[in-house]
Amino acid sequence: MRETRVGRDARIGVDVGGTFTDVVLALPDGRIFVNKTTTTPTDPGEGVAIGIGAVLGDAGLDPHDVAEIVHGTTVASNTILQKTGGRTGLLTTAGFRDVLEIGRIRTPGMFNLAWRKPEPLVPRRWRLEASERIAADGGVVMPLDEESVRRAVTTFVTEQAEAVAVCFINSYVNDAHERRAAAIIRECAPSLLLTASCDVLPEIKEYERTSTAVVNAYLLPAMRGYLSNLAERLAVLGVTAPIQVMASNGGMIGIETARDRPVFAVGSGPAGGVAGAARLGLNLGAKDLIVFDMGGTTAKAAIVEGGEPQIVTEYEFRDGISAPSRFIKGAGYMLKVPAIDIAEVGSGGGSIARIDAGGLLVVGPESAGGDPGPACYGLGTDLPTVTDANMVLGFLNPKSLAGGSLRVDAELSRRAIETHVARPLRLTVEDAAHGIRQVANVNMARAIRAVTVERGKDPRDLTLMAFGGGGPLHAVDVARLLGIRRVLISPVSGVFSAAGMLAAETIHEFVRPLLLPLAALPDGIVQRAIASMNADGRTALGKEGYAETAVQFRYSADVRYSGQSSQLTVPISACFDAPAVHAAFERTYLETFGYVTAGEPAELVNVRLGAIGKANERLDFGALQLDARALAGETGQRPVSFIRGAARMPALLVARAALDKAPIAGPAIVESYDTTIVVPPHCTASAAGCGCIAIEMEAFDA
Amino acid sequence: MPDATALLDDPITFAVVKNAMDAIVDEVAYTVVRTARSEIVKDVMDFSAAICDAKGEMVAQAKTIAQHLGAIPEAMAAVRAKWNGKLESGDAIIVNDPYSGGMHLPDIFMFLPIFDGGEILAWAVVICHHTDVGGRVPGSNAADSTEIFQEGLRIPPLKLFHAGVMDEALEPLIALNVRVPDRVIGDLRAQYAACQVGAREIGRLVARYGGQQLRAYFDALLAYAERMTRAEIATWPPGTYRFADQIDSDGFSDDPVPLMVAVTVREDGSLKVDWDGSSKQVKAAINSTLSFTKSNTFLSVRCALRGDIPSNAGVFRCIDVSAPEGTVLNPHPPAAVAARALTGYRVMDTMFGALAQIVPHIIPAAGEGGNTVVCLGGRDPDNQPFIIVDMISGCWGGRPDQDGIEAITNPSQNLSNTPVEVLERQHPVRIEDYGLVPDSGGAGKFRGGLGLRRSYRLLADEAILQLRSDRLRFPPYGLNGGKPGGVAGNWLVRDDAKRAIPGKVTTTMQRGELLIHHQAGGGGHGDPFARAADAVARDVRNGKVSVAAARTHYGVAVDADGTLDESETVRLRTASGRA
Repeated sequence: MRETRVGRDARIGVDVGGTFTDVVLALPDGRIFVNKTTTTPTDPGEGVAIGIGAVLGDAGLDPHDVAEIVHGTTVASNTILQKTGGRTGLLTTAGFRDVLEIGRIRTPGMFNLAWRKPEPLVPRRWRLEASERIAADGGVVMPLDEESVRRAVTTFVTEQAEAVAVCFINSYVNDAHERRAAAIIRECAPSLLLTASCDVLPEIKEYERTSTAVVNAYLLPAMRGYLSNLAERLAVLGVTAPIQVMASNGGMIGIETARDRPVFAVGSGPAGGVAGAARLGLNLGAKDLIVFDMGGTTAKAAIVEGGEPQIVTEYEFRDGISAPSRFIKGAGYMLKVPAIDIAEVGSGGGSIARIDAGGLLVVGPESAGGDPGPACYGLGTDLPTVTDANMVLGFLNPKSLAGGSLRVDAELSRRAIETHVARPLRLTVEDAAHGIRQVANVNMARAIRAVTVERGKDPRDLTLMAFGGGGPLHAVDVARLLGIRRVLISPVSGVFSAAGMLAAETIHEFVRPLLLPLAALPDGIVQRAIASMNADGRTALGKEGYAETAVQFRYSADVRYSGQSSQLTVPISACFDAPAVHAAFERTYLETFGYVTAGEPAELVNVRLGAIGKANERLDFGALQLDARALAGETGQRPVSFIRGAARMPALLVARAALDKAPIAGPAIVESYDTTIVVPPHCTASAAGCGCIAIEMEAFDA
Repeated sequence: MPDATALLDDPITFAVVKNAMDAIVDEVAYTVVRTARSEIVKDVMDFSAAICDAKGEMVAQAKTIAQHLGAIPEAMAAVRAKWNGKLESGDAIIVNDPYSGGMHLPDIFMFLPIFDGGEILAWAVVICHHTDVGGRVPGSNAADSTEIFQEGLRIPPLKLFHAGVMDEALEPLIALNVRVPDRVIGDLRAQYAACQVGAREIGRLVARYGGQQLRAYFDALLAYAERMTRAEIATWPPGTYRFADQIDSDGFSDDPVPLMVAVTVREDGSLKVDWDGSSKQVKAAINSTLSFTKSNTFLSVRCALRGDIPSNAGVFRCIDVSAPEGTVLNPHPPAAVAARALTGYRVMDTMFGALAQIVPHIIPAAGEGGNTVVCLGGRDPDNQPFIIVDMISGCWGGRPDQDGIEAITNPSQNLSNTPVEVLERQHPVRIEDYGLVPDSGGAGKFRGGLGLRRSYRLLADEAILQLRSDRLRFPPYGLNGGKPGGVAGNWLVRDDAKRAIPGKVTTTMQRGELLIHHQAGGGGHGDPFARAADAVARDVRNGKVSVAAARTHYGVAVDADGTLDESETVRLRTASGRA
């Protein structure tokens, strides 16, 4: 196991979001301290330092007591969204400089003549060509003209490029030319930051590989600058603990890896919550979960199976809101790196409700955000949001939110809904509020469908774990739409992503492309690929201080029927057994698509390794001790409209602590400083251990 | 027509059902992508998915090929006429015959009835473009066939699946008549799997809302789309608007094939679209059946409407389409139709020309004019048959407020492309370049997109090349003073000798020969001399517009690094400079 020095045992999780920076400090005895501070967009490190300072103060600890900081950062994603990455060049095979701009041709919608295609991150002027060509079988068609590489470097330098990506056709089969070109670039211009596509993840499909390498190169200057700056700020504070960065796959990577391969951290923020939910589920004996995270602007859904988050091997990072449907591509930047399969929809507490020209009620994706925020904030907007609907129906405290720190006015919510929704639809304000809530719930259910139904999984078999500011408010109703009968509300819901990071393992991902018939693999080829990935995995983890005994390898294979171009990933063992892999593939195929043609030849596309660094100090939710603030809350009663058209019911207001004594039957509402938990009628809430609340539903159709 | 009462009774459930239907059709489509076997389906995404109500009216369509959407009604009618009352759960009907409701033979429609009790409640529909359905040319897509009998296997509405089992007689018959049976049968299975996903999910909606109520919501969805469409068309200036465009030729003669349209905007929010005056039907396989003509007419109008109108048959109710019999837009059998997509693109271009007079703030100048289809078929070095069906997309024309998009699907499709590495891995061919064609975008205040080029070197001994392309003679038009885009071109290079070949051709390629295709560029929108000089300089810097073209077409003096000579530009852009 990794060495931890005596006395240095505080671990800190930091989640920098669009509105808030959440910091969670955990001690080995299970005590945790949390802080929510405003994000400082121009220099996110500033808010991080403030938050860390605050939790250290609360915990009465010295900066030297911090053993490790795990950081979920939006630096990578924001750099792409705001187009603030480095001046980046691209070197391609002659004839293919436009591959990056061409992309995959499709549009995300139909019939929209005003659509804007995302601008390539490298303008055409900085996309240069080298004379070389590798064939599909790896043979050399045309040797690399080294002079053409040198000429390109001269141009990159003249044009003041900061970073360069190299991606040659068929380099996934034979990377010799690509590596040689990279070496020449290093030699001619040592100060240029460089990414060769074969060093990220060498897989077939030139656009996807080029795009991944380009995004990586584009992020290098920003990520390096940010991480150096952050380390300095923390040093000033006296914190010298190593920084780990959350990767999109839910694992941590060391700061060195994050500096070299920032593309692995584009989905850094949301990954922490899913990793934490997976760990929490294991503690509770709930290995299969739907993870539901509802924030201010969007809601996200992911699946945990057998205690592991479901991973995709490519995804499209896009501006704005992801369409949950997976085949709608073209709206963003393709990244072929492992990431937790997260579907996101534009429904959150701040989503604005409106009536469209055809008389249809639409909620989101436009969001009022935190400023001006929902109408009830009284900050100058009268547009109704999902939060306003919750306010009108009585789900939220009509006077103040966030443990009393935020004053609100329910009358403003009522007026906003009346003007913009109820009157145009000729509905009562209550009915309109129910409508807004229900449309938002259906949108959010769609995100869950994208990771379950579209994957051939039945959500009814799973437990929904909810967190995020709005998750516990909507969880039961969203669950009902999908036939789910059991909901878990995480502890510290409002800052759960930051807490979840403290439960994550270190993971490094490797891949070897094979593209061979599964039934006719040359002797030893898979074993050789596995051995070489093992060596890479040991090296990467060794650099981060993991002893041989703390290293665990997880293997998988991408398999498809001959002729298909989508593959399914199945777990494999180190002693690769082709017939067993074929059988596992057929099982997965049947589960996913509902039919299988038994015995049909299959193809082994890739073998993959996840090299995991184990350590004892990961956050143990079983030992979690919530502080007094989290357990306290308003008591009494409030009339709440749970069902459209029915009279309001008095809902019991209970403090979270009360649930430890006995289960509570709905209708009830649990208010705490970071979230509000709704327990509708015909539901029972009880303490589920690890600070979670379980809500069991009777069969009941909302 | 059901009125909006159902909708107004419960606008909330209506919104819920609408979103659920959108999700379901996308799930159906996603299943096709994940289970299909051929590049044309899984990579290029030439397929579509929809749910129809019991009467066959399309209630929801996935974000797939727009051109397919209007053709479903005719095929559905043929299927229902023959099979209603003779179906059970798990059955599926296929049809591809253009004269029985199909479009062209490679597009095989599959219809799977979804039952509620003993009654059909809805239909799951999946249409896939198959790699080959037999006939005289690999890919079954030749532009130079002269009657339908040459084009491949004609399938009237037949039952391919009986309660989940593929028909023992039809499967070997189909397999024997196509060049790549594994792919065709594999893709048919993918269609079936996808239809089943639709049935499963509709079943869940039935469990939730009940069949009766779901039927009412289907009606309300159609009424909703119709109402939105009418409301918007009613804001258009009434009158009749005419436009003409043309296809280079049918490939047998040099005669242009003109298309003429008269679009009448009526005050009740409906449109009359009359194709009278268009070419007589032609010898080659570019005739478009009336259902396909309607389909392209509908989608053109749909593009001129707001984005949030559902893609369903309610939109069609507001549009009357007519084309005289015996024309290229409504041919008599047995006219050949395999390459009719080309005519469909020109239908859209012609419609856009008319619509640009009605809603000038929405409609762009002409785009590339339709994707080019390259079919290469032969035997690979292991003597196994191979067929490449590759489609080269293009660009959009300049728009009223922004440049045309480059490297993009035609708006009437939603096609993708085949990755070079995938193509080379699976077929004896090497792609030698894939990129933008500089200076091919029509000049305008808002420039037309550049065309794409793609070159194929044959690595097998011999292959039959079948090419369908257009706009080699008549370039995509500009609008509002914008210039036309650059024309397309095809060349074959053998031993360094490069010769131009026609737009529509079937020929033989030998090992080592190189086929080069340039797609046409989009037309420009607005006066090129009104284009911001900075935008021209940026285009020059990026190698999209040459220094010479910047000077002659835009009146902008700029060097190759994009540095502007402002005083010279002012001089060029004055009347004297122009002259």
